[in-house]
Amino acid sequence: MGRRDRGAGRVARLALLTAIALTIFLVEAQLPAAPIPGVKLGLANIVTVYAVFALGPRDALMVLCARVFLGAVFSGQMMTLLYSGAGGLLSWLALCLLCRLLDRKQMWLASPVAGMCHNVGQLLAAAGVMRTWAVLAYLPYLVIAGVVAGLFTGVAAQVLDGRLEKLRK
Amino acid sequence: MKSSTKWILILLGMAVAASGAMILWQRGGGQTAPVARILRDGELVEEIALDKVTASYSFVLHGSAGSNTIQVEPGRIRVSAADCPDQVCVEQGYISDGTVPIVCLPHGLVIEIVGGEEPLDGAAG
Repeated sequence: MGRRDRGAGRVARLALLTAIALTIFLVEAQLPAAPIPGVKLGLANIVTVYAVFALGPRDALMVLCARVFLGAVFSGQMMTLLYSGAGGLLSWLALCLLCRLLDRKQMWLASPVAGMCHNVGQLLAAAGVMRTWAVLAYLPYLVIAGVVAGLFTGVAAQVLDGRLEKLRK
Repeated sequence: MKSSTKWILILLGMAVAASGAMILWQRGGGQTAPVARILRDGELVEEIALDKVTASYSFVLHGSAGSNTIQVEPGRIRVSAADCPDQVCVEQGYISDGTVPIVCLPHGLVIEIVGGEEPLDGAAG
């Protein structure tokens, strides 16, 4: 499937990825929260990482925006729109840069960087909402959590990519 | 290994190491002892280090509007009696952290605790 693929096939593929990401997001939201606010595995980012490398940044951004918006609507917490929106955009920017530097076999490495950027963006949004820089005390925790969770989702995306490759043949 | 891979690994390692160091530093520097500050009309009257209290004791604070009896115990403090009409400060009981201060509005008296364990995080959710 070419990256320049247009029309119904592309729409269907993006819709499928959005549905998968949204499902993962909502299932993960049911898990008990971590002791530090803002820390979670972020399993839905598997889809974002995969989409950036497999379909290109533009399509990935569409999937990401749709997932973040619908996720906020379905989970009933509109504040997550701000937090995961800011985090998602920053991690998407990082991924755009990284997918030029790294090849497709290295998306597992791009993901921890993206995870870290996601949490930094989220924290900046929180600082903006609460109008205080005091929340930056969480920064070191969130950086480590982002890298660990990113590594996990990155490896998952890499394995997924390998499987999908086989499926296509 | 490609050089870009190496650089990204190095940068990630540095970010994690710096974060770890910051966490250790925060842990080491934080956690001051809890101190109860008694204020009347915004002015400090009395400061009590609650972790240094070994036996409970009480004392009476006289003000122009009335008097309050303060009882101090290891790690906590309360107003045990007051001659104000509403008795809100007495009914609140003991406080041991900075979450909610004791306020006696008629007498302009405030007892707050600074330091100690962090109060509840109101920013969650």
